[in-house]
Amino acid sequence: MSELAPKTTNLLQGTLDLLILRALSLEPLHGLGISRRIEQITRGTFQVKPGSLFPALHRMEEAGWLAPSWGESENNRKAKYYRLTAAGRRQAQTETEEWQRISLAIAAALQAT
Amino acid sequence: MDKLVYLSRLWHNLTHRQKVERDLDQEMSTYLSLLAEESSPREARLAAGGIEQLKEQVREVKAGFIMQTILQDVRYGWRMLRRSPTFTVVAILALALGIGATTTIFSIVYGVLLRPLPYPGDDRIAMVFNHFSPQNTEHGTLSIADYLDWKKGNHAFESAELFRPDAFDVTGGKEPDRVQGVSATAGFFSALRVQPLMGRGFLPGEDAANASGVVVVSENWWRTSLAADPGILGRKLNLNGVPCTVVGVMPSSFHFPRPPFKLWTNLRLIPPKRRGPFGWRGLARLKPGVTLAQAQMETNGIARQIEQEHPMEYHHMSMPVAPLRDEIVGNVRVAFLAFLGAVFVLLAIAAANVACLLLARATVREREIALRASLGASSGRLIRQLLTESLLLSVMGGAAGCVLAYLGIAALRAWNPGNLPRIEDVRLDGLALAFALLVSVATGILFGLAPAFQSGRDRPASSLREGGRGGTAGTGRRRLQAVLVMGELALALVLVTSAGLLVRSFVLLGQVHSGAQAPPESVLSMKISPIPSKYRNSDQIIPFYKRVLERAQATPGVTYAAISDSLPPDRQYDYDTFVIQGQQLAPGDINPAVTCPIVSPDYFRSLGVPLVRGRFFTEHDNGDAPPVVIISESLARRYFPNDNPIGRRLKASGPELHDTPFMEIVGVVGGVRYTGLDSDPADAYYQPYAQTLYYQRTNLVVRSNGPAAALAPALRREIRALDPDTVISDVVTLEEALGASVVGPRFRTLLVGGFALCALLLAAIGIYGVIAYSVAQRTQEIGIRMALGAGRSSVIGQVVAQGLRLALAGTVLGVAGALFATRLLSSLLFAVKATDVVTFAVGPLILIAVAALASFVPACRAAMVDPVIALRHE
Repeated sequence: MSELAPKTTNLLQGTLDLLILRALSLEPLHGLGISRRIEQITRGTFQVKPGSLFPALHRMEEAGWLAPSWGESENNRKAKYYRLTAAGRRQAQTETEEWQRISLAIAAALQAT
Repeated sequence: MDKLVYLSRLWHNLTHRQKVERDLDQEMSTYLSLLAEESSPREARLAAGGIEQLKEQVREVKAGFIMQTILQDVRYGWRMLRRSPTFTVVAILALALGIGATTTIFSIVYGVLLRPLPYPGDDRIAMVFNHFSPQNTEHGTLSIADYLDWKKGNHAFESAELFRPDAFDVTGGKEPDRVQGVSATAGFFSALRVQPLMGRGFLPGEDAANASGVVVVSENWWRTSLAADPGILGRKLNLNGVPCTVVGVMPSSFHFPRPPFKLWTNLRLIPPKRRGPFGWRGLARLKPGVTLAQAQMETNGIARQIEQEHPMEYHHMSMPVAPLRDEIVGNVRVAFLAFLGAVFVLLAIAAANVACLLLARATVREREIALRASLGASSGRLIRQLLTESLLLSVMGGAAGCVLAYLGIAALRAWNPGNLPRIEDVRLDGLALAFALLVSVATGILFGLAPAFQSGRDRPASSLREGGRGGTAGTGRRRLQAVLVMGELALALVLVTSAGLLVRSFVLLGQVHSGAQAPPESVLSMKISPIPSKYRNSDQIIPFYKRVLERAQATPGVTYAAISDSLPPDRQYDYDTFVIQGQQLAPGDINPAVTCPIVSPDYFRSLGVPLVRGRFFTEHDNGDAPPVVIISESLARRYFPNDNPIGRRLKASGPELHDTPFMEIVGVVGGVRYTGLDSDPADAYYQPYAQTLYYQRTNLVVRSNGPAAALAPALRREIRALDPDTVISDVVTLEEALGASVVGPRFRTLLVGGFALCALLLAAIGIYGVIAYSVAQRTQEIGIRMALGAGRSSVIGQVVAQGLRLALAGTVLGVAGALFATRLLSSLLFAVKATDVVTFAVGPLILIAVAALASFVPACRAAMVDPVIALRHE
């Protein structure tokens, strides 16, 4: 269990961004949906708290990676869905590559001894 | 992050604030409802409890968050300002006055003194002058002979040019016209590095003695007087009777040396027979790497050489070199720097005033601020809020000030007082607006800082308690107010004293007599310029003037008619040196140059110049009679201190003049000022026009029994009837000429006087504010005193005394400041010392009177206090 507090390191913040971008890569989701999807794709490793999730979503919206689209929620209420923009897809690509590079490097470092 | 995306988000967030908020609400409430369905009730309750905090966290990452807090402060400040409109309006007006005046004067000072001239590398262009005895003018003029010597010895400048501003009677255009122009040597335009709009400038060699006449005209004049003739190049115009071919048109941005100049013609350097006449100025561009000081050394060397070769003409000769801009701007520098100083003083007073008002208001808001502080607002946050309010005030004041400055500049340009040089370059441009903004922000911070910190320092608990008890609050604040008001009064006194000195000099200048005893409105003069080609010598011109005089004399309403080339108070035409027959002079010594008008017999009667002894000229003093001369009283006193000058003889001096005959002195007349009211009556000798080889141009001057202005059309008709080609210009009464001659001092006096009045007004508001505030604070105390038997007059006396104490302290400071400031003014003063006792006595009295008056109003209100109500209060 890991909690992503609002003031995490850059690496962790980058991780949250990457997770959100991955979570949205299939379909637009609302806030709670994103949180559930992240939990699901990380097999329960990451439970994102709303205090981290919503500021991150809005920050990424301001950056132009996510765009809002209003739809109906499961309980028939007006809900804000987030979808990836073209810039968001490019960002997902970059961050994925970056992450893979770093994780390879860390893995190599761990095996070096 | 992509800048464009960020900016568009920023714009969206700022312009759709409510929608952004609504969306956030919607998002959160849906989130909570979803959460409530799928989590435990406890988890949902917890989430709902933290929802406002969550929203705040989201808001903080939104673009424009900081800007929105500032906007919030501004909105809050705006509400506070709207709540006390009187305070707001007074503060904005005070600031608008200060900032508007400062911006206006800054624009003028920048446009006139600092803005580069429209000539590339204008700081490398210099003017060259002549300084020698007996001419004794600091920046005197060169003769053509001097110029040729300078040009021969010149190495410091790229080229050495010569020019003279002149008036040209132009025929061959639409109608005869009198136009200001310049005659200059061939390299004139290239020294200034200016290009014509059409055609060309002068060609090398066009200043040779045998070159044909060419003229370059200004675009404006070409459009207005030459009907924008597209075939203008090659057309012939007659300038003072000399045919000249138009070879170029200069763009309207070019108007060397000043805007009224409309044409430039080639000067032909005819080898001179003698060193004079003077009247020319050198113009030259420094070679790269040569400094003005080096050039100065070279020209002075040349001057020493000229002096050695011509010991009879020159003594103590030098050739001063000065930057062109200094010369064009001339002597307004001191006045303008004085204006700039005055407006900054005014601005400081306005700022101090607003600071006082803010301090007084801070008392009213004390409990509000204490409440906010006790609810957890940090003192930094409170100071920021108060500073935002004062900046809001100062920026609004600045905006209003810019409107004032725009109007002020437009008015000044329309008025053009005292023929300000370069007034056409004065405008409210980006630089002036930036200056206004800077001044606004700086004053806003300055006057906001003191009250803000004062509030930040107040302990909430004591403020709440003081307010609750209605005790005497805010000692520190009151002390600060007193200091500010004292400063205001001191600064106001500096301005009042300066204005007082200028007013006194102006009044004294107005009392100076021009020397003409005729009522000024009854004397009318006009310049008449016959075409030189029609009147080639004195045999032709003298009869023409004789007929002009006969016709003028016969015009109904004219009592006396005369001609003279010089007129009071500042229209000296010519001056020359002279020798007295039998006078013993040291070898190489010369009498100084004096004014030498050429006049017709009735000149003295027309102006009312009294005859001291001897006689006036008569019609018989003509070419057939022995030459005669009339001298001024001062010249008689200086050169014939113990003798009767009548019967003695003098003549113009100069080596080439030895064979001219001496003229017999037949009369002595009262002194007349010819070089301005601020100079002494001129030493002068007058010659009769009928005996003198005549200049073509002169003035007709007539005297009437009543106002003479109405005579102009009739006189114009008479002259036109005699010769329709004669140009008539400068039609003015003596009254107008006297007024025009002091227009510069009048402008200075009005401007600084206006500043001083504003300063007094602001200072009065300031002291009124402080006293009224203190009376309001002490209502209870006054009530107690009155209940214990104090009379109304003793209450009034006590309150006024409080104002007077402030005024006295301000006066002491102010007198010290004024003693320093007025020293800088001394060159602008006439017949008044910078430490003038009267001014220094009256100024403080005015200030104290204003202070007493301003404290009397609140004092009366204090005396109206009903003890019962005052004690029951709160």
